[in-house]
Amino acid sequence: MKLTRISISLLVTIALIYVLNRGWNFGSPIPPLGKFLDPFGGFWQNAETKSRPDEILNLAGLREEVIIHYDSLLIPHVFAKNDDDLHLAQGYVTAANRLWQMEFQTHAAAGRISELIGDAALDFDRRQRRLGMVYAAENAVKAMEANPIAANMVNSYTQGINQYIQSLTYKDLPLEYKLLDYWPENWSPLKCGLLLKNMALTLNSGDKDLEMTNALKLFGKPILDLVWPDNENVGDPIVDNAGNWNFKPITLDSLPLALPDELVAVKPLEKSPPDVGSNNWAVSGTKTQTGSPILCNDPHLSLSLPSIWYVIHLQAPGVNVMGASLPGAPTVISGFNDSIAWGVTNAQRDLVDWYKIEFKDKSKREYKSDNTWKPARQVVEKFTIKGGNDFYDTITFTHHGPVLFDEAYHGDSEMKYFSMRWIAHDPSEEIITFYKLNRAKNHDQYMDALNHYASPAQNFAFASVRGDIAMRIQGRYPVRRKEEGKYILDGTLTRTEWQAFIPNEQNAMYKNPARGFVSSANQYPVDSTYPYYINATSYEAYRNRRINKLLNEMTEITPRDMMELQFDNYNLKAEESLPVFMRYLDTTAFTPAQANAYKILSAWDYENTADSQGASYYEAWWDALFPLIWDEIMNSKVELDNPTTYTTIRLIKEKPDLLFFDRVETPEKETAREVIQQAFAMGVETIEKWKTEKKKDPRWADYKDTFIGHLLRGLPAFSYHVQHGGNHDIVNASSRTHGPSWRMVVSLEKTGVRAWGVYPGGQSGNPGSPFYNNMLLTWANGNHYSFQFNTNPNQYKSGIATLTLKPKAL
Amino acid sequence: MKFLVQLAATVVVCLGLQLFLPWWSIAVGAAGVAFVVGNKGLKSFVAGFLAIALLWGVFALSIDLQTKAILTDKINQLLPLHALVLTMLVGGLVGGFAALTGALIKSS
Repeated sequence: MKLTRISISLLVTIALIYVLNRGWNFGSPIPPLGKFLDPFGGFWQNAETKSRPDEILNLAGLREEVIIHYDSLLIPHVFAKNDDDLHLAQGYVTAANRLWQMEFQTHAAAGRISELIGDAALDFDRRQRRLGMVYAAENAVKAMEANPIAANMVNSYTQGINQYIQSLTYKDLPLEYKLLDYWPENWSPLKCGLLLKNMALTLNSGDKDLEMTNALKLFGKPILDLVWPDNENVGDPIVDNAGNWNFKPITLDSLPLALPDELVAVKPLEKSPPDVGSNNWAVSGTKTQTGSPILCNDPHLSLSLPSIWYVIHLQAPGVNVMGASLPGAPTVISGFNDSIAWGVTNAQRDLVDWYKIEFKDKSKREYKSDNTWKPARQVVEKFTIKGGNDFYDTITFTHHGPVLFDEAYHGDSEMKYFSMRWIAHDPSEEIITFYKLNRAKNHDQYMDALNHYASPAQNFAFASVRGDIAMRIQGRYPVRRKEEGKYILDGTLTRTEWQAFIPNEQNAMYKNPARGFVSSANQYPVDSTYPYYINATSYEAYRNRRINKLLNEMTEITPRDMMELQFDNYNLKAEESLPVFMRYLDTTAFTPAQANAYKILSAWDYENTADSQGASYYEAWWDALFPLIWDEIMNSKVELDNPTTYTTIRLIKEKPDLLFFDRVETPEKETAREVIQQAFAMGVETIEKWKTEKKKDPRWADYKDTFIGHLLRGLPAFSYHVQHGGNHDIVNASSRTHGPSWRMVVSLEKTGVRAWGVYPGGQSGNPGSPFYNNMLLTWANGNHYSFQFNTNPNQYKSGIATLTLKPKAL
Repeated sequence: MKFLVQLAATVVVCLGLQLFLPWWSIAVGAAGVAFVVGNKGLKSFVAGFLAIALLWGVFALSIDLQTKAILTDKINQLLPLHALVLTMLVGGLVGGFAALTGALIKSS
């Protein structure tokens, strides 16, 4: 009897421990509660204060001592005595603050999220593998290994990260690992490759070949050219060098243009939202108060936490650089050193082509190329799924690249196969570009650094203490015949394949232009005399004109003026469209709510400030109008591309009777006037509903509701709503979920480079740290921090803590 | 008196164990102390429960106060109960059942 009671009690105790020591999944994952709640090792241990202890650590692989001072923003100032130690320390210190994010992002790039959250992510994971992300990263690693500088850099960085990982006990594990109940695996150079290719996926995978093919078939060439022009001819190009392109361009043998004549029913990839873009500019000393150039950069990306960027200061003999780094890649990506500054924006260009493949039979083992059957490469990918069985997927590669869609993935009844040619699949050595930029002293060295850069194509703005400013649109661009690559291509013929690339020295670039500044905002890159055919998914039409107008007008510029320009909320699109819209309204038939909206809009100054109500009414109106106009396109059975905002507004003004203004679902025949009126009523209704629901006035910041979401699907507990003006198409390009992910202003003064910056987050990736979101409010208010950039390590001793890394005796 | 002895001893022993061993070492500590002290079943359970609830609760609360609840507030949004209450409950249950087991073994 006693024995029974003992057994029962013992069993209950053991069962409790078992249940509380492992994770469960009832719809949503539950962490191992005993482990997780234990204050000695669980989540409580991730709660931090602002103070950190000074530490001395021994790391294997270090040759000499490295000192790291964390300043009051937790920015590490790393002082090493050689390059290898510098990159090892960068790896260590980045991992110590951002490990979970670094691994999660590379897992996402490699299509491995199902391992962490279960089969909900399987479709995403398969897409990543079918895009050839791992294949691209492997090619990148091969190129890195072939270059001793790149190999040393990546290996040292990896070694630094891994020593941090190996030092971890459950107590120190980043919070997300405890929540999802898994452990970090060792870092590897492949993960650096995956991270960089993930950036290429975000920035350089935009394409609309399938959509344009469908549009051509449905609407014909004249409509296509009207609605989707290659160049909207608006504003200044990034590089205006009219008539002075003094080189002999590569020409391909001419071919009659073969336009496709078919519909493609597969569902193309989810596109990067049009809010992904960036601004950069540099003004020469002739326009500034100090007489020294000022360079500015703000890349617009998905606003997420932990932040995309990690600010770091790296110093060793031959290098003294500071700026934004990408957690998971060595070096600084957008920053400055004691001689130069540089900043990047995305260079819009079509770098993806789809070749229609003719397979010999259903096995897809051979495909036609000219008059031969070539063998296809088939790769079986294994997917580990949390709480489920392993999944296997066979991916077919032709010499172009992977076949994304087939019977097993997003296929349809009349299966057509397309093989993807993407620049990011090619081996390249971008990491050398950043290594050299970090150390560059002048314009020549900046040019040399960029010669190593292939993808994702970027507009590199430059300024130097010597007084030069420059812009270069750098990437590896295929030479194309006119309109080639705009539609799907015939994969059975080699003659439309990429045959040559534009030589680096023939890319668009210039130095010290007469207007006294360079700038880019993802607009059309070159003037009409540039001798190569260029197209892209879309080009920016508003930010670039606003920036150039203000820069043209400004003189005696101070860094503060530049910070204000980064936070400029002027809505040029509204200035150009709202008066036209207003004229179409019938003011006699207004409801009281519409009359009120009309009054607010009439008084609006086109500023999308946080407090503006006019901005809310305008944006609600626009958001209702766009789908009414393009209903034929958005509701089409086959995938089509949304026309741009600029073209839409131009057509409203110039062709108000165009067939697209007619709404398909109504019997009446609408023109621009009717859809604008209907959209006005809908927009006002939306705002009225919002007002009733939220019980407050529709201030723009509240109505837009900028949201900085945690990488785990915006887990609300770790995410923030911020009060912020701006919008897409505005210099302060903050939409609801995208915006300036990093703002930097650098004044290149001879007496010492001064720099300011901010990003919407904080240096720590730990939601339990005060440094997780400490910069958020500063960012939202349009302010910048002054960076401590100095050559004397003693200047930093007043910061949060000092970390001393010493070589470990073997 | 023996109740308080068991409670205090469990707190001290488990605190020592937790500094070096995983969280479930509290079960070993609570059972061991219960065996040595030899309270009756229910009394032993309550002493074990309170000891661990107290140990975990006080330690968690001290972290919470030191860090101005920076993380507690966030984790509370993910949990059905306040993190501190749940922490004490979970620790207490394991401590209680372990102490019960220790007492039962002793009395046999």
